[in-house]
Amino acid sequence: MEPILNMENLTKTYGTVQNQTKALDGITFQVMPGEFLGIMGSSGSGKSTLLNCIATVIKPSGGSIFVEGKKLQSLKGEALAEYRGKTVGYLFQNFELLDNLTGRENILLPTSLHNVGEKESEQRLKQLAEYLEITEVLDKFPMQMSGGQRQRVAAARAMILQPKLILADEPTGALDSRNARNIMEKLSGLNQDENATILMVTHDSNAASFCKRILFIQDGKIFHEIRRGDESQQEFYQRILSVMAQLGGGSGNVL
Amino acid sequence: MFSDLILRNSRRSRKENGLFFSSLVISIIAFYIILSLSRQDVMIFLAKMESDAVSRLLLMIPVFYVLTLGILFFLIYYACKYQMERRRKEFGVYLMMGMRRKKLFGMLLAEDLLGSGLALIIGLPVAVLISELISLITAKLVGMGIIGHQFSLSIPALIFTVVGFMVIKFAAFLILSSKISRQEIGTLLKPSVESEKKKAPAFVYGLSAVVGIGMLIATYSMAISGISWSRNEMMLLTLLLGFVGTILLFYGMRALIALLIKKGKTNRKLHVFTFRQIQENVIHQSTSMAISSLLILAALCCFGAGIGIAGANKLEKNHVQDYTFRDYSTENPEEVLPHLEKTLQENGLIQEFSQIWEMRIGHVYEEETTTDTENATEDENESMDAVENSDAMGDTVTNENYTVISFGSVIDEVSKLPQSEARDLVINELEAQDMSKDVYLICLSDYNKLLAAAGKPTMTLAENEAAVYQDRDWTNDAEMQLFNSVLADKPEIMLNQIPVKLTGEMQTVDLVTDRSITLSFALILPDDQFLKYTNGDYTLYVNAILNRENGKSASLMSAISDMNEQLDNSDLSEADIDYESYLQNMGRQLFFMVAASYVTIYLGIIFLVVANTIIGVQFLMNQQKTGRRYQTLIRLGATYQDLCSSARKQINWFMGLPVFVAAVSSLFGVRSIFSGVISYRDSESMGQMIAIAAAMILLLCVIEWVYMTVVRHSSDRYLLTLMEPQREE
Repeated sequence: MEPILNMENLTKTYGTVQNQTKALDGITFQVMPGEFLGIMGSSGSGKSTLLNCIATVIKPSGGSIFVEGKKLQSLKGEALAEYRGKTVGYLFQNFELLDNLTGRENILLPTSLHNVGEKESEQRLKQLAEYLEITEVLDKFPMQMSGGQRQRVAAARAMILQPKLILADEPTGALDSRNARNIMEKLSGLNQDENATILMVTHDSNAASFCKRILFIQDGKIFHEIRRGDESQQEFYQRILSVMAQLGGGSGNVL
Repeated sequence: MFSDLILRNSRRSRKENGLFFSSLVISIIAFYIILSLSRQDVMIFLAKMESDAVSRLLLMIPVFYVLTLGILFFLIYYACKYQMERRRKEFGVYLMMGMRRKKLFGMLLAEDLLGSGLALIIGLPVAVLISELISLITAKLVGMGIIGHQFSLSIPALIFTVVGFMVIKFAAFLILSSKISRQEIGTLLKPSVESEKKKAPAFVYGLSAVVGIGMLIATYSMAISGISWSRNEMMLLTLLLGFVGTILLFYGMRALIALLIKKGKTNRKLHVFTFRQIQENVIHQSTSMAISSLLILAALCCFGAGIGIAGANKLEKNHVQDYTFRDYSTENPEEVLPHLEKTLQENGLIQEFSQIWEMRIGHVYEEETTTDTENATEDENESMDAVENSDAMGDTVTNENYTVISFGSVIDEVSKLPQSEARDLVINELEAQDMSKDVYLICLSDYNKLLAAAGKPTMTLAENEAAVYQDRDWTNDAEMQLFNSVLADKPEIMLNQIPVKLTGEMQTVDLVTDRSITLSFALILPDDQFLKYTNGDYTLYVNAILNRENGKSASLMSAISDMNEQLDNSDLSEADIDYESYLQNMGRQLFFMVAASYVTIYLGIIFLVVANTIIGVQFLMNQQKTGRRYQTLIRLGATYQDLCSSARKQINWFMGLPVFVAAVSSLFGVRSIFSGVISYRDSESMGQMIAIAAAMILLLCVIEWVYMTVVRHSSDRYLLTLMEPQREE
């Protein structure tokens, strides 16, 4: 099976030659279709930079990213816009809903940008709204929704064009625990039922426990990788915590 | 380091808000231009001829100055407010870092002064240049070769410009900075959240739009039908209705735009986003959009009135007589011409004139005269000026039952013609003459000399015949055509109870030089009939034409100017002889033209600039406030082109809506001004009016296009900065 995402030796440096910061220092990994991959790391570890490189929001300094066999760095103009809208769907920490558009209009925004037929998108909208339980807030403005509803509307917007890869940047970051759990259940459900491929950046161990595989990043390098086998979510969560403890400088790993 | 910060901040403000900076420059130019009016070539020239009127206009300048000051204060206040709002967080950070409020204030003041100084450095030379250009162009336009142009720098105007500009800038700054400094650091640091405005149910907006449109329609019909001009209260009511109507319309416009959003459900790129943005702008800025729209309307009306007045007072190129003399030394009209000729002869000026002839104008002499009438006729003899521009003939008191003139049969005949505006006006005119029981009479041989001098064929009239005279100011082409068709049948009227046949074409050549003396209606009679009807009691003017073969001076204008000097130096005034030259007459007309068009066009431009700047700055500020939305769109896969085209559409709508409403209103407003301010007879034919309106709309389109292009450029530039990937912290 061909990987959806293939990242080879990715580097990203900030600053001038004398004073360089390596945000990413040779990262290599693959994402297979249907995976739910989490990327964890402390703040400043480079996880957001990594996600932004995939989202083509920032340009990497070296290495290459292939999505469905196409090299991202070579995409330009129309193809780049097409990639941003159709190949990947993006879920933001702060939802980034346009507050002067209703829920429905927000969700349909990508379809209007990419000339998708009205009928087709309406059908998809209905299906997603039912699954994400946002049917009743579709005609409300973001101001009139709860945080959880907003993030679920944002999720619907990310999913509306059935992207090959969903990039989620701390999707639970601005939510309380109940809403966080709810959105994670939905994402995990989409992963299982629709076989959606999800790449999620988080530092919330709870949210991460929904993933199938987790990469830990520290100082721009992949530091560790764990997979969820047959264990329960609770057991997986404990495993994540122990890795985090090490990562964060636990007693056995004092710098 | 501190001064570096000031320099950098000030440069940044100018760059980010170029539109605002350029309106600062424009306001400086506006100040200087209105203040240096007295130094314009035309005004210097006119001051010699019409010193009273000119000094009265110049007295008005402080009023316009203060008015401009007030309008521009609002502009500067609004633009500065947005600028300050945008930098709130920055101020908060400065204060957090321990900058004292006093120092922050000082820093802002220094930045402000720097910006103002720069605006003055750029604005003042441009203002002087433009003022010189206007001076040169107006002088060229009115063909005043006689006034030599000289570069004039008005120091008081410069000083007042700088002072006025600094005062409003400083006042705006003080108000705004005191608002900012009163806030807590915490509130400054937080991004200012637009408090969600309370939303009324949709039907309220719909209703408001409908009521607004209704009020506007009422306003238009009141303005057009002339009800507004009948009484001051009515005018006030019309203006109030228009004002409230426009505000309501813009308040309710969100409902109309919501309809557009629903209607355009097709998946056109960013359609929904574009219209939601427009709707949001309309919701947040409905009042200022309405005000902008009203300002644009005011500008258009000013242009319309200015152009209309200028057009109505068009300088006549084909004048006939250069001079008209009046002799106040004698009561006997027959002595006037010899006396004048003798005086000119004595001063060696007679050979300067190629032609000198009498122009006799009188009233019908009534046989059963009462003392009242005698007095009245005497009055009239003493000052013909009483006739200026009015049908003052009604003043002559006559025996109630006595009819000097009766148009009965002519009116009947005109009434039979198919209904038209011209027909009704002609009937009104004739009925007025009927009622006035009096009519002016002109002596045929004098008028024939005038015709000959004008290069027109002379007329012959039989004993019981008369020709109709009407000044061009009192009639238009349609009326003349209609009247001529009636005259072709030689209708009969009663003059002093004797039947007289009207014949020939209607006559319109100006009788005397002074164009403010016009006759609305008169009859031309053969010489002996004239003397019979007037009983030898008439007013005498002496017309004269300069000898053009002398060729001493380059132009007729300078020839007349030279002659005026010679006449002033002669003992003409000692002989109690008064004169009016074509030059003085032209000066008077020119003054009205220049004063009216200058002031109205000036105000028009100020209104237009203010309206456009307010609305343009608001759009750009709003765009920057909602910049994050555009960033989200980029992430969702919108290309730069998509964003630009959406922003352009928003600009077109946001700026276009007020302009559109103003343009529609102006059609009625200008029409109303034409019928209200300028009398119908003065206004040109309908075609010309439409041409003026078209020219105005074209001018408006050009100005709007320039503004929209500037705003679009800024918007494109801003969106490009969003396209650059930014590091997310």
